[in-house]
Amino acid sequence: MSEVSGPTTDEANGPADSGVDRSLRERIRSNPRPALLWAAGALFLVALEFGRLLDGVLVFGQAIVFVIEGFASLPPYIGGNVEGVVAGVAGDTPGLLVGALAHDGTLLAVMFVVATLLQGYLPVRLDDVLGREMSRRRRIYGERLALTAILGAVAFALIYTPVGSIVDTEVGAWVTGVGILSDLPTLTSRELIPNLGHRTPGGGWEGTFMGLSPAWAWAIRNVLVWIYAFVCLAWVWRGYNVYRTYYREADWTPRDDTVKRFRNHYWGMFGLIIVFAFVVLAAFAPAISPVPADANIYEPYNHEFEYLNDDGEIETVYQGRANLLSESDGQGTVGPMSYDDFDRWMPLGTTPDGESMTTNLAYGARTSLIIALSAVGFGALIAIMLSLLSAYYRGLLDIIVVFTSDTIISIPVLVLVMMLVVIFQQSEHWLAEPLDGGVLLAIILGFAYWPGMWRSIRGPSLQVAEEEWVDAAKTYGQTPRKIMRKHMAPYIMSYIMIYASLLLGGIIITVSALSFLGLGITEPTPEWGRLISDGRPYIGTDSYHVSTIAGIVIALVVLAFNALGDGIRDAIDPEADVDGGDAGATAGGGGG
Amino acid sequence: MSRWRYFFKRLLLAVPILFSVMTFLFIILRKGPLDPVAARLGPQASGADASRLREQLGLNEPLWDQYIRFMTDLITFSGESWVTRAGQPVAEAIASTVQVTVWLGFWAILLPLFIGIPLGFYAGLRPNTIGDYVASVSGILWLAMPNFWLAVMALAILRRTRGGWFGFDWYTIGPDISSLVGQSPSLAFDSLQGVLVDIKLILPAAIILGSASMAAELRIGRTAILESINAKYVETAKAKGLKSRTIVWKHIFRNALIPLIPIITNEAFILIGGSVIVETVFSINGLGRLYFLAITQADLPLAGSIVFLFTLLIVFLNVLQDFLYTVVDPRVGVNNE
Repeated sequence: MSEVSGPTTDEANGPADSGVDRSLRERIRSNPRPALLWAAGALFLVALEFGRLLDGVLVFGQAIVFVIEGFASLPPYIGGNVEGVVAGVAGDTPGLLVGALAHDGTLLAVMFVVATLLQGYLPVRLDDVLGREMSRRRRIYGERLALTAILGAVAFALIYTPVGSIVDTEVGAWVTGVGILSDLPTLTSRELIPNLGHRTPGGGWEGTFMGLSPAWAWAIRNVLVWIYAFVCLAWVWRGYNVYRTYYREADWTPRDDTVKRFRNHYWGMFGLIIVFAFVVLAAFAPAISPVPADANIYEPYNHEFEYLNDDGEIETVYQGRANLLSESDGQGTVGPMSYDDFDRWMPLGTTPDGESMTTNLAYGARTSLIIALSAVGFGALIAIMLSLLSAYYRGLLDIIVVFTSDTIISIPVLVLVMMLVVIFQQSEHWLAEPLDGGVLLAIILGFAYWPGMWRSIRGPSLQVAEEEWVDAAKTYGQTPRKIMRKHMAPYIMSYIMIYASLLLGGIIITVSALSFLGLGITEPTPEWGRLISDGRPYIGTDSYHVSTIAGIVIALVVLAFNALGDGIRDAIDPEADVDGGDAGATAGGGGG
Repeated sequence: MSRWRYFFKRLLLAVPILFSVMTFLFIILRKGPLDPVAARLGPQASGADASRLREQLGLNEPLWDQYIRFMTDLITFSGESWVTRAGQPVAEAIASTVQVTVWLGFWAILLPLFIGIPLGFYAGLRPNTIGDYVASVSGILWLAMPNFWLAVMALAILRRTRGGWFGFDWYTIGPDISSLVGQSPSLAFDSLQGVLVDIKLILPAAIILGSASMAAELRIGRTAILESINAKYVETAKAKGLKSRTIVWKHIFRNALIPLIPIITNEAFILIGGSVIVETVFSINGLGRLYFLAITQADLPLAGSIVFLFTLLIVFLNVLQDFLYTVVDPRVGVNNE
């Protein structure tokens, strides 16, 4: 950490007013040069890939819309159910009435929950607005109710007045705008460095980058992707250093030691690099795949391309037709590092369906990453909330949580997940639609794994609830929510991080195992486990590459997540320097 | 005897957990998104057939009666399979497959115990030597490789030995099983030859099923030994002039076993899930494969009963774990009382 030097010489104002209460913005204003330099670099990096970034924003927006729609379907669902039950008992008219009441009640309840979450961020206090004294409890509930009313009014306006359609058009216009902007060429786009082309009768290539062969064009694009990704990583690291050197008040914080320990942890660094590569593979899947996924996998009979046939003529053929004739099914094999008969470059060969292995692997990484991250995120959210609540309130709540988690943990994870997946998929539940079952799987895995995470942080959260600073905050009159968030949550975060990073590998194995059994992600969304099961009949033949490569990739990524988890654990917990810890055993096996 | 009281408390707690799992099964299988009638007759089922089935399954009865019926069916294993073993009582279907799975589980627990723990102890007693590194790295690699992939690969390689790739033929070396390919062990135990054939049939699956446990046991065994070696009582024992053999067996080994107890029982936990996959890949006619078939064919009574059996097993294992703790570790229960 030689970078930590010289902040005082750069500061124009001297030590007198570099007091504790200057905000980060003021600190940057007093010495803007390093920050500006860094920001310029960051901006340049963003500009290079602006289109792809906007694509990501669009996808993220769609996901949010999906979640909101899910919650929005809750009131009609409950209303409908209540209506059915009451109508069966008391006749149709009361049924309709009670159903409508239940609908509105659920709606208001959802809004009250949202209001409770938002209340802490209100810019004004209710007693100031009303201009009279009120007790703390009263004020908080008053604010929540007022917020609920406002939200209700907004919802009413959106649903029953023209305002709704105006907002709809407005949002639609923005989405279209972003969509157009996201088509801007980026550094690694296939428009800039195309690798799809055909041989010319003269022996050269047409349509590819600078007339190079598709293999070289693809290789150049890939090298660019990896360089770009690692430059970004390095720039983020530099940003942290700039912050630490010039803008942080303290010369040293405990986190410095954590970072230092991690940097010297070669096993953990190895894990980090592979995990980063995995994330890049997922994020840049369109650039890494030699053939675009929608042409090659999703709609092969809507996409045509040209190739030079044996008679020396340029011919047009559907991707689907070409796939049929390039299958790696033991009879014919398109192995790694070769062209198929249609001069499509296949860096890792083809699948038994004739699709590009590379495309399948890259998009499969996307599927795995999305599912693993959202499952762990969902599970960790439940685990953290329940552990904080049960540690703070104890009593009945604690018993209920212990009981629930013991119940879930008593069913073997894989058995439980298989059962839930089948039940939801066979009933054609709407949750099973998105990502061909990916979203459903993420939710089910989160549900199945939260008890494990909860157990791993139960001890620490019970401990921290006993601490004096929590008592002090209580006497000071802070709300329970704020105490949990500010004084308890940070303490258990490191534990959940260790456990979560170890769990990610296990979840990736579970997802691929389910897909291998034909239960998880169904066609056409690419998934690694399904590649293994597709290639399984051909392991003994020349087409052994399908199962082998997919399996090695899974093993490598799981290995890397385990290594990263070990590294994080040793970095966060200094005592682990000595005994090399035992948290690893809890999540390592994975089951699949 | 406060630790025994602690143990009985845990034992009593197991009963409500079982009931809550059964209730969960009731909610998911009966009241879940999948309508039992649709599961049996197909999603578009309607008309007389559907309503007759609805009546027959008791779906029109009051919820409370359905619940009690469901629970008694589960506890007594008395339902009837719908599709997988159409018409066969659940208890019979389970009884016909459970032996093979027990046989598989027995070897899958035994093999890692005799490979993983000694390797871990070996590595722990010689820290930072080449032997230690080789053992640790191979353990880590084992852990990262998915069971189902290992199974697929192993099966392909074993089939390959027929062509004389590796100079021996797996199917004829030792007891000849070349006429039994794809069959499950008979488990008649009538002759030595028969037992050897049964072992050979289950061996590849057992090794792969136990691979994750093996790696975990190796890892934990190593750290456990390292921790005990550096403990004060070992130093005391050394100072007393005890033979190093006595120190290893009496002081290090016994204490290193304590952290291994939850690992071994937890492995059984993983084995149950893993048996579903490994039995399916090796097409061994066991409980795991039966569960896979039942759940994929929406055979709800059979699948529900098997889940209940698995849960019984796990709850029993947890109790067993508490029991072992109470016996091995005198400190148990001291803090909790």
